[in-house]
Amino acid sequence: MIRTGIPGIDEMLGSGIPRGSRVIFSLETGVDGRPFFFRILRTVLSAGKNALIIAPQATERAFLSDFSQMMNTDPGMEPGKIVILDSSVRERINARLKGSRARRKEWQKTMRETIQENSIEVLFVYFDLLYEDFGLEPALQLLPSGDEYRGLTTIVEHLNLEGDSLISGFASGGYFDLIISVHSNITSVPFFNFFTLEYVSWSRMPRRSVPYTVTDRTIRLYIPKIIVTGPPSSGKSTFVANASDRGLSVDRGDVDGFKTTVAMDLGWLHLRGFDITLFGTPGQPRFDPILPQIIRNAMGMIMVIDATRPETLPRARDLLTLAYAARIPVVVAVNKVDLPHKMDERQVRESLKLRDAIPVFFISSLRRSDVHAVLESMIDHITRFSP
Amino acid sequence: MYIYKTGIRLIDEKKGGLSPGSNILILAPSLSSGERLGYSIARPVEGEYALILSTVMRAVDLLDFFSESRIDPSRIGIIDAVSKLSTPDISDSTQIRYVSSPSDLTGIGIKFSSMVESIFNGEFADYGNALFPPPIRFYIDSLTTLLMYRRLEVIYQFLHVVTAKLKKMDAIGIYALNNESFDERTLSLIKQLMNVVVEIKNEQHGDFLRVRGLPGVSQEWVHFHINGEGLEVVI
Repeated sequence: MIRTGIPGIDEMLGSGIPRGSRVIFSLETGVDGRPFFFRILRTVLSAGKNALIIAPQATERAFLSDFSQMMNTDPGMEPGKIVILDSSVRERINARLKGSRARRKEWQKTMRETIQENSIEVLFVYFDLLYEDFGLEPALQLLPSGDEYRGLTTIVEHLNLEGDSLISGFASGGYFDLIISVHSNITSVPFFNFFTLEYVSWSRMPRRSVPYTVTDRTIRLYIPKIIVTGPPSSGKSTFVANASDRGLSVDRGDVDGFKTTVAMDLGWLHLRGFDITLFGTPGQPRFDPILPQIIRNAMGMIMVIDATRPETLPRARDLLTLAYAARIPVVVAVNKVDLPHKMDERQVRESLKLRDAIPVFFISSLRRSDVHAVLESMIDHITRFSP
Repeated sequence: MYIYKTGIRLIDEKKGGLSPGSNILILAPSLSSGERLGYSIARPVEGEYALILSTVMRAVDLLDFFSESRIDPSRIGIIDAVSKLSTPDISDSTQIRYVSSPSDLTGIGIKFSSMVESIFNGEFADYGNALFPPPIRFYIDSLTTLLMYRRLEVIYQFLHVVTAKLKKMDAIGIYALNNESFDERTLSLIKQLMNVVVEIKNEQHGDFLRVRGLPGVSQEWVHFHINGEGLEVVI
């Protein structure tokens, strides 16, 4: 496997990209693909593998300078070797040869010779100018296949000005084993970045989209809002507190002497390559008017119910309607199983009228491992959820 | 609704200026003041910012030009597609970002987004009563250069995406194109993405302009020149 070095993506792909695969990162205009491309390149070089870069849009020095600045490393110091066919190669070929057929043959020859002479294991291609010079199909045929060079992995970056139809064409044409489209959304509140795993040939993985940020040269996948809700005193605050690396809670003494959440609990954690923010809602019905606002833009809901208090299930069912209205995935955590209880999964499913696809966990929110099992299931559902 | 003053009296007096999301194409022959007119329109007024994609001048020369024209550069971001060709190791700063060449549309898109993000994040000179979203004028100082490096269809698609982004951001776009270098098909394709076209002709007595695409604004040729100080358009 070739690891991408991007936590979360390697996780989702099953520890990386199989050797010999062809991968394309299809970028929307304005999206910075370098954190993906450069991170993979650095991981490849660090692993002692030799890489060939086809960069017809830049000079070798400009490319290396960008790479060094962004990754804070000197590629010459890495165990793997880096070889670059840059803009000067394209200029030389275009100046020397007339006609796209002859030029394409020359590219092909140059690439293959370089791969052989330098024992290249991973090929990185900036595809745009090849596409423009030769057209889509001939440019795709330029890329050496894994069959031709056993184990050669090809990673392509491409500025997609044609939209979804091009991605569909890549998928249906079987040109690539992995297609990742990368998007950014500029609106009045800009810069929401996300990528979509469009197609994976080596696993039956559903199409899934994940937001990400770039922090300290590292891509961090993030889930900006997961709601933790449930009837009063079901253990939501404990769940958020034990799930989180850090957090805060706004509790006040209730009339009966217990503490209750009056605004929300907030928790932040990093799990399976994802930065996650948890929003714990108040459980008291008097806070219901604010719940739709809290749930707005959430990516998932964890419903916490108390295994010792079946009489609270109708309240849980009411709260679930908010998740269904927002069309977000739900995971149910039946809490306090460390206390005597009679509630079982069948009763929970029947009372809450749960679909089979909604997982039900029996947990003690005092145990961090239990809480994280629920969250891992939530991550799975968010990244593969289709309403 | 925020209105962008153009500095061209014909437009500002009749229409108040340009509405957000507008795109203005300057069609000018060689050796005319087309590019300077572009800089004049792109000049940010108080509360605004400008982003310039320079495919002709190095950022350092552009800053000198602004300084000579007494324009405050603190609200101007430059995407320099020239310097890296000769100085590959040059590093980005908050207000100057470099791309490897004018052919690198991916890089241009990236630097455009990151510049806009910097403006939104208040990394440029800030205003006490800043408007939100911040008004931004985006100027491509030479579509001519881009069209020499990339195919027309690709540039069209690229501009199509850029103009859509500018519209979402309530910004305006300004583009200079040498109308002597391209055929009618090229010009008409690029015009499809524009709301306003300012044509320039160069005659013995100086430069003339006429405005197309704005109902109610005269389409007569009018003589104009640009004052060195502040790049003011005088008609």
